[in-house]
Amino acid sequence: MTIAEKPFIRPDGKEKVTGVGRYTADMNLTGQLYAKFRYSDHPHARIVRIDTSRAKAVPGVLAVLTHEDVPDVLYGGMVQDRRLFAKEKVRWEGDVIAGIAARTAAIAEEAAALIEVEYEVLDPLPDFAANMDAGASLVHEDWETYGADDSLDRSGNTLGHSSIVKGDADSAMAGADVVVKSRFVADASQGAPIEPRAILAQWHGDRVTVWSSTQVPFAARSGVAHTLDMPESHVRVVVPLLGGGFGSKCDFHFEAHVAALAKAAKRPVKLVFSRHEEFVAPDHRREGMVIELETGANRDGTLVSRRGTLRLDKGAYCGEGGFFAQMAAMHACGPYKIQNISVDSYLNYSTNQPSSSIRAPTAPQTCWAVEQHMDQVAEAIGMDPAELRRRTLIAEGDEGPAGQIFDPIGIKETLEAALDMIGYGKELPDDEAIGVACGWWPSFGVPSGAYVKLNGDGTGTIITGAMESGTGAVMGLPLLAAEVLGMSPEDFSITYQDTDAGPWDMGSSGSQTTFNNGRAVIEAAKEVREKLLDMAADELEAHRDDLELVGGAVQVKGSPGTSVTIADLAGSGEPILGKGSGDVPEAPEVEASACVGRLGMESFLAPQLITHAARVKLDRSTGVVRVLEFAAAHDSGVIINRIGADGQVYGGVMMGIGQALSEMTMFDQDGRQRNPGLLDYKLQTVSDAPKIDIRWIEVDTPNAGPKGSKGVGEPPSVPTSGAIGNAIAKLVGRHVDRLPMTPERVWETMHTEGE
Amino acid sequence: MMGATYTTASSVEDAVAAMAAGARPVAGGTDLVVGARQGKKPLPQALVGIHKIPGLDGIGESDGGLVLGALVTHSALVSHPIVRGRFTGLADASAIVGSHATRANGTIGGNLMNASPAMDTGAPLLCMGATVELAGPGGRRTIGLDELWAGPGQLSASADELLVSVNIPAPSPGTGSAYVRLQYRRQMEIAVVGAAAVVTLGGGAVMDARIAITALAPTIHRVPDAEAALVGGPPDEARVDAAAAAAAAAARPIGDVRASVEYRRAMAVVMARRAIMTAVARASGQDMAIPASDSTYGS
Amino acid sequence: MKYEIILTVNGVAYPVEVDAHASLLHTVRDQVGLTGSKEGCDDSECGACMMLIDGRPVNSCSYLACQADGAEIITVEGLAPGDDLTPLQSAFLAEGGVQCGFCTPGMLISATALLAANPEPTPDEIRVGLSGNLCRCTGYDGIVRAVSKVARG
Ligand SMILES: Cc1cc2nc3c(=O)[nH]c(=O)nc-3n(C[C@H](O)[C@H](O)[C@H](O)COP(=O)(O)OP(=O)(O)OC[C@H]3O[C@@H](n4cnc5c(N)ncnc54)[C@H](O)[C@@H]3O)c2cc1C
Ligand code: FES
Ligand code: FES
Repeated sequence: MTIAEKPFIRPDGKEKVTGVGRYTADMNLTGQLYAKFRYSDHPHARIVRIDTSRAKAVPGVLAVLTHEDVPDVLYGGMVQDRRLFAKEKVRWEGDVIAGIAARTAAIAEEAAALIEVEYEVLDPLPDFAANMDAGASLVHEDWETYGADDSLDRSGNTLGHSSIVKGDADSAMAGADVVVKSRFVADASQGAPIEPRAILAQWHGDRVTVWSSTQVPFAARSGVAHTLDMPESHVRVVVPLLGGGFGSKCDFHFEAHVAALAKAAKRPVKLVFSRHEEFVAPDHRREGMVIELETGANRDGTLVSRRGTLRLDKGAYCGEGGFFAQMAAMHACGPYKIQNISVDSYLNYSTNQPSSSIRAPTAPQTCWAVEQHMDQVAEAIGMDPAELRRRTLIAEGDEGPAGQIFDPIGIKETLEAALDMIGYGKELPDDEAIGVACGWWPSFGVPSGAYVKLNGDGTGTIITGAMESGTGAVMGLPLLAAEVLGMSPEDFSITYQDTDAGPWDMGSSGSQTTFNNGRAVIEAAKEVREKLLDMAADELEAHRDDLELVGGAVQVKGSPGTSVTIADLAGSGEPILGKGSGDVPEAPEVEASACVGRLGMESFLAPQLITHAARVKLDRSTGVVRVLEFAAAHDSGVIINRIGADGQVYGGVMMGIGQALSEMTMFDQDGRQRNPGLLDYKLQTVSDAPKIDIRWIEVDTPNAGPKGSKGVGEPPSVPTSGAIGNAIAKLVGRHVDRLPMTPERVWETMHTEGE
Repeated sequence: MMGATYTTASSVEDAVAAMAAGARPVAGGTDLVVGARQGKKPLPQALVGIHKIPGLDGIGESDGGLVLGALVTHSALVSHPIVRGRFTGLADASAIVGSHATRANGTIGGNLMNASPAMDTGAPLLCMGATVELAGPGGRRTIGLDELWAGPGQLSASADELLVSVNIPAPSPGTGSAYVRLQYRRQMEIAVVGAAAVVTLGGGAVMDARIAITALAPTIHRVPDAEAALVGGPPDEARVDAAAAAAAAAARPIGDVRASVEYRRAMAVVMARRAIMTAVARASGQDMAIPASDSTYGS
Repeated sequence: MKYEIILTVNGVAYPVEVDAHASLLHTVRDQVGLTGSKEGCDDSECGACMMLIDGRPVNSCSYLACQADGAEIITVEGLAPGDDLTPLQSAFLAEGGVQCGFCTPGMLISATALLAANPEPTPDEIRVGLSGNLCRCTGYDGIVRAVSKVARG
């Protein structure tokens, strides 16, 4: 059952379709200056000297800042490995050396070019796999001295090594009927929100307000406080409408640079990225990977053993992505029953753009490799790939890679639903084929908070720390509050995206908003409910237990005549305010003590499960592939807001199709991006979009989010490229082992001899 | 420093005078302004807007041929029944230029005068034997397209010559034309490899053939070897294959972010083949959907 | 050189002073003060800046303000004459055609141009007619549905 029976139209909709809504770049303040950065001239170099004197002399320039002008603070999520402005070294082409604030953007740009930087150029280290080799030069020479999360297993250029060990993979492999080995390489790709980021900062004495297009205002706030050495209470981060993020606007990015410029210039300062900068400068893009897999299987489909080695490109800095090695290791196992496992996953520094969370980090690429590998296993044992999955997908009571025991889950049902929607097995023209892939993604249980207050006329306001990046998650919160209070969702306004207003929240990342903040809102609404019942009991001279909240009133059960409206109660002047956070569901326990680099992802809380099926058409002469039809079946638990959840799937699948076929960031041999623009970084257009059918397998999930829900935002891109890859392989006769599977790569695969 | 200047021309003479004084014409701006935004070339300091010159946006017939004013847009070309019916290769090209907005603003004059080896209307027009009329300070002259392009982004026309019109002679009876390019996405592409063919059939044999390749050499050009291979007999597989192979053999492709040399070379055969087959089909009266790049996908 | 030109935006004439290279998008956002049209790329690749000029959809980021002197310009702010939404705007909301909303102004402009030129487009004509507008959030599904719904009346 879907909770919202009638479609719930987003409250921010009207301002968006009429163009009056304000995004960060739309805001201007009196006296505002414009910021530009001077980026590194080399992907890897030692800084010998920085001379800003010519830049400072340009008329109209009011501030020029380098590392000398801000506190000498290292920051970063799991490893504190970077500074706001590069000091000793630059480690990628987007490292910021200086910031300029000037009367106009053109003046700031001119001044940025006039900063003289003398370098000692070092060999770039773009090959993240080779950077693991003994004797490789280090991206961070003295990084063992940096502060870092204790559970990170680090050495050389590897900042995180995670393993999953279950049973004895080696001897089981030796006893398997067949052994299949494969190697896949995935290129980097980008979140590429249509809104390039923008930041505006203004000081009031010792306090600063920063308007930022961030997905994570609280992380931005603590980043500013930490790097500029000030208390969090002095930093307010406000997010106007946010023009998409997909992970690329997670983490603290440039808010402190702009705040520092505004302080130095004693004026508000605004930074707006060009599309080129949006490609090159953020420390967020999807990681490149080299994935080696080996599976031993028996003829009946039993997966007896899986070995895997994964190497991931972290780029120059860690940011919040230190957990990637472990996340990728979990995806190398996938939602399957595998008897013995030995997977090693390495997250390596390079002098490329840093990678970090982009919609389900590490999962689409790993899943693409694993799911093509599964089809290879099916072929080796002579079984239909759907049947192999039917026999090996996990179900309630099965044991996960690291020993977690699964609650009720619906992955097998998603498989059957996807096969049904796409018409698996139907007659097709000989240039078409259907591919299927399964995948999973955890829900993230983290603390979150919200307030609910009632207004004098009986309407309500939700005040939350949660973030709306377009996903509709925050928009769905009134549904939850309304249900607890017997009101209608339209009765609520929401105050959000302001760190001074709502309680701490992780932000729009990890598909977690409904999961965690939904819980908080329900708790806060329940507190309000208690107050209303108390007040109504007095008013109606009835017993609390005999009362219920219906249609905006508190009434004696079964006797609608004896009631008092919420408006009357709220209008009495007594403040009616509830707060809530609720208990965070705990991650399932795990067994495998042999695993190293345990960061909390070795078990999946309330896993979201997905099967995608794609019908594609291959132009055999050119290698051009078009996706004609797509079926997406998801177990995301109980669906709270159908229109919002569907929207996540449509968007996620299209992003997944782009990643499968056309989206890649190409680096030259030095690690510079070769295609940092939308002409050659190819997003799918509406004329490429297939018909997408969606079905939800609504498993009422224990130990999950409100009403048995799980997350929805990230999984829709997870198995997409795997399904498309499997369809292509059926037409080509071999699997394309590079992602994206561009026309040229498909064509090459068709024209190279098989091993 | 005086800074950049802009004037609006209200007649051809106006525009030519401004150009003689150093101004660069801007029609739809979808090439000139966009190129500057992409950082390819800064915008010229002096600009003259030619988009308001009256009388340059018409599509007219003369002796079975066509006269296109310089300001005719790609969307006007695609929707014009005569262009679709008898100059179909040009409709194939205009239908896939950029996006709906590029087509609504981009002009035939701007397309031809950017002298890009990847422009889409160039190859079909070249095969159709189109000429352009140029107006300069010393008067008007007419030259063939093969004469117009001197290299990538380079024209033989001088900087003060305005393209006034494009003249396409009447096709002989039994003629069909097509333009096909390799498309990664269905829209919003730049030609990576393209080919055009104009084929005249008579009594089941190819009487005349014109074949040109796009984005495969410093300028778009015809391939006489390919044309010769097709003419003189029925358009059977052997002849079509030989012509397509000859067209590809004339390619001098580059390798870049969009494709490698090898792939471009291989695709040259495929696109040439598809263009020829479609032109032949049209010449024999079959109705092939426009744009041919879409309708020949997978064939 | 600065040029005094008149931009007629959504029926209101705005005298503005621009230099020869100024884009229509920047002029409308910064001088006219209408920020509904967005900048997503500045080089005609995303469509977020789409405006109608004399009825034609134009990537205003790559169009010279001077060239629009005297023309009738419509931006997203000018689509709905009063407080009520146009059928297209309502359909975008009802069909899930809006998520982050950053592409929405440009999409609505392209869709308006499409329906004006072709009141009963086929689904494929809708797709081709919106192909210059990138959306990263919606997968285009709700957008195409919204336009079809309005086209069918
Ligand atoms: C997103 C996008 C996609 C595109 N895709 C394609 C594509 O698929 N295929 C393709 O071929 N092109 C493509 N283009 C390029 C461009 O749109 C076309 O070349 C268009 O026809 C140019 O016309 P215009 O009027 O806009 O030219 P402008 O930009 O106004 O002018 C282009 C050049 O021609 C000169 N010029 C213009 N008119 C005249 C004249 N009458 N006499 C003398 N010189 C003149 C100008 O000075 C300038 O040098 C694309 C552009 C964009 C922005
Ligand atoms: S901003 Fe104009 S098309 Fe992207
Ligand atoms: S709604 Fe976000 S880009 Fe379209």
